[in-house]
Amino acid sequence: MSTSDFVDIEFNGRSVTARKGETVASALIGAGFRVLRTSENGANRGIFCGMGVCQDCLVEIDGKSNLRACMTKIDGPISVRRQQSGRRTARYTLARPAIAVQDVQVEIPEILVIGAGPAGLSAAMAARRSGAGVKVLDERSNAGGQFYKQVTVSGPDFPPADQQHRDGATLFEKCVDLDVQFEFETTVWGGFENREFIASNRAGTVRYNPQRVIIATGAYERAHVVPGWTLPGVMTTGAAQTLWRSSRRLAGQRVVVAGNGPLNLQLATELTDGGAEVVALVEAARPNRLGAVVDVGRMFLSSREFLIQGIGFIRRLKAAGVNLLNDHVVAGIEATSSGLRVKLTGSNQRTSLQTLEFDTDVVCLGYGFEPSNELARAVGCEQDYDPVRQELKLRLDDVGGTTVQSVYAVGDCAGMGGAMVALSQGEIAGYAAGQSLGYPLSNDHRSRLGMARRTMARQRRFQRALWRIYEYPRVNLEHAKPETAFCRCEEVSVGSVLSALDNGCVSTGEVKRRTRLGMGRCQGRYCVPVLQHIMANRAGTTVDSNSGFAPRVPVKPVAIEDLLRSMSNE
Amino acid sequence: MNDRPQRLDTAIIGGGVLGASLAGFLAAGGARVCVVDGGHGGGSTANAGSLHVQLQSRFLRKYPDKVSALERNLHLYPKAVAFWKQLETDLGTDFDFHMTGGLMVAENQEQFEFLEHKSQRESRLGLDVQLLGRDELEKVAPYLGPAIFGAELCRQEGKVNPLLAHAALKDWGTGMGVTFLPETFVGTIERSGSGFALATPNRAFQADRVILAAGGGNKDLARSLGFNLPVASEPLHMNITEPTEPLIGHLVQHADRPITLKQFSTGHVVIGGGWPAHLREKDAFPSVELASIIGNTTLAQHIIPEIAPLRLIRTWAGINATMHGHPILGQFSTMPGVYAAVSGDAGFTLGPFSARLLADVILGYPASEDMTEFSPDLYTI
Repeated sequence: MSTSDFVDIEFNGRSVTARKGETVASALIGAGFRVLRTSENGANRGIFCGMGVCQDCLVEIDGKSNLRACMTKIDGPISVRRQQSGRRTARYTLARPAIAVQDVQVEIPEILVIGAGPAGLSAAMAARRSGAGVKVLDERSNAGGQFYKQVTVSGPDFPPADQQHRDGATLFEKCVDLDVQFEFETTVWGGFENREFIASNRAGTVRYNPQRVIIATGAYERAHVVPGWTLPGVMTTGAAQTLWRSSRRLAGQRVVVAGNGPLNLQLATELTDGGAEVVALVEAARPNRLGAVVDVGRMFLSSREFLIQGIGFIRRLKAAGVNLLNDHVVAGIEATSSGLRVKLTGSNQRTSLQTLEFDTDVVCLGYGFEPSNELARAVGCEQDYDPVRQELKLRLDDVGGTTVQSVYAVGDCAGMGGAMVALSQGEIAGYAAGQSLGYPLSNDHRSRLGMARRTMARQRRFQRALWRIYEYPRVNLEHAKPETAFCRCEEVSVGSVLSALDNGCVSTGEVKRRTRLGMGRCQGRYCVPVLQHIMANRAGTTVDSNSGFAPRVPVKPVAIEDLLRSMSNE
Repeated sequence: MNDRPQRLDTAIIGGGVLGASLAGFLAAGGARVCVVDGGHGGGSTANAGSLHVQLQSRFLRKYPDKVSALERNLHLYPKAVAFWKQLETDLGTDFDFHMTGGLMVAENQEQFEFLEHKSQRESRLGLDVQLLGRDELEKVAPYLGPAIFGAELCRQEGKVNPLLAHAALKDWGTGMGVTFLPETFVGTIERSGSGFALATPNRAFQADRVILAAGGGNKDLARSLGFNLPVASEPLHMNITEPTEPLIGHLVQHADRPITLKQFSTGHVVIGGGWPAHLREKDAFPSVELASIIGNTTLAQHIIPEIAPLRLIRTWAGINATMHGHPILGQFSTMPGVYAAVSGDAGFTLGPFSARLLADVILGYPASEDMTEFSPDLYTI
């Protein structure tokens, strides 16, 4: 291992050895620092989503505040401080002139792909193969998204990339070979009805007026609103997986992984293999119930490699002696002198089960996902309610076109379907977008397209069977207490929201104006979907496409000073 | 759908700050009031909460022909701001009201001379205004950047948090028996028997008394009754940053460019002041514009460089009613039972005070202002 793989950074005056290429969040977790920020009300917060959505890991770096530790890559020595709410860290005295929208550089790619996960990469590859010029933007420092997240640190002591990493790398390399243009660490923070998009990175801001746009912005973890869910050390399954798969960092020595679905299984296995003690893997459903046998058969027929992989995970966990619990959910988490104590209770259909408690360092929560469809909604794409999945999905035609002309949506942002479905969706939409620009499809393209359609159908069958196996009654606020934080950003309590509902608030917007729920930096991504379900349940209806907030830009916060720079000029 | 219209005593159409205040005052005076509103219960919460007193440079530039009317009624503004404070006290609540004083900044001699001229006129009309050169500004408003040459300070200006004000007004009214009907858009009003029939998409109402308090929406409502009120809708764009420690002490405007800039006690910086928004094509929802985000916020950091590193966390759009020089408050004498309620320019500032003036008329209380110029009778088609 060479010293060039490491870099010394400072955190609150103490030296921390970071791995070059990892994020600030990852280095600090590795050094045992969990508290990254104090909230407006003085509460400690740390890394939660690990993917730039929740805005809870804000730190001050080299005198600049409000930077997301989970999204800031370390490539040199830096000085990091725990963020105190609202503190201004540098004097700004230069009066830079105001600019007009016309001053912002414009790019007009033939096809713009937003998001470089499985859906975005495969869409970019297909679109480029069809002959179109393709530009891909992604907020992370490398390609792959949440499924293919790449190992970003180097050194012989770290476990090498696995097949999933390599598949992602291969897909990215194919795109690069085809001359797809990539722009990383670039946040698309706005979309408008005229199909204009705006993106900022460290260099500045660019307006995009693409001829076609393929939105592939993925998904993020659904909130699990229970006492203690905002404590440092409580994070999403995805966050812990990013720490391990990208930086080879364990989120903690003792870990409880809890939630619903196979990602938790994968994480528990990876952490066990990586040397952590997985205290328990807590599944809300009962996937090994007798009735699931038909669906296991369906999974075997549609995608046996994933079924085999899943069974392998269970074997390894059992061999390692990990406590595998079904039918339980996390009902609360509290801080102890040595870490966290997590309380489990029977999931909604199994309330007779006794309460269990475990001491741990880290709790990972993975209770399903919400689509990141903010940009699609901002440009006016319509949604429909899916009664089976109990969620809103973008309305798509059979090639992934949305209700807005020339705007496609692929992958989980359009409605959850998993990475394998996303790959096929991306390919289909990529060819369709290229074809719509006048690039004819060759026989080779057509045969690839046919394959993508068949694969998608097969993977959807797999996914449906998987969902049935992991079916459980959704948890909203059943385990929350009146004082539990509902909105993490604005620290709005469950009790104050419920009393606003009791006092006659008729819409999520009204609850927002009344309580400040959803008014913070994350734009209501965690609290609003739960609120929508609560309100629908109370009204005896289902969530509908108007029951969330009106989409507002910026969909991710953007610094005013970033608007002053134009990417090409600096 | 019910065939029989629901009977109402007093129907206020529009649940913004004017309509909601009026509902409270009328209910306190013994009236049975229903507020019928086409929106989703938002009231005037899209407003940025500035309490204006000095003549806004934006109005002077855009509507030179209305300036004399505005000047004649300038004395209402300090009263309206004081009334906000009174209302906050009377309701026993907290609107985050602060009479911070407002600064209109100039960047050069020419703009400063404009302010000099303006402040002289305002001073004669009784406002508490003062011109500040760069040195004095350093003491009063050290947060202003080097681009600022001087400013006019009006000590009577300030701010409230519209979210808190809206919630308090609604709770106050509800407590006195006012009914608020959101998502009930009144399309037309017709004379019917001894009262008036209100048509909405899903139900019909029959009201003895109707008060038009729908902002720019009053235009169409009045027309359905044969009047031509000089109001129109003007969609405007607003921005808000993440919170920061206390920095900006005043309501800040510019002598030559559209902007209002202030900081709520939550630490958020609100940036607005007349940048355009638009009504979305498919459903007329007020929607923001990229040009306004870029122009408005970069202008804000030009005035106060310290806010440059702050991140915008949200933008939104609301609907202002355009300039007409003075309030329109009173009964249409040719149509007894129908009242116009238009609070005037900087309508949010004037909202509660205008509501009080109109409530006094309706309840038969003595008038505290000469309201001749406010009569809606001037606008018969």
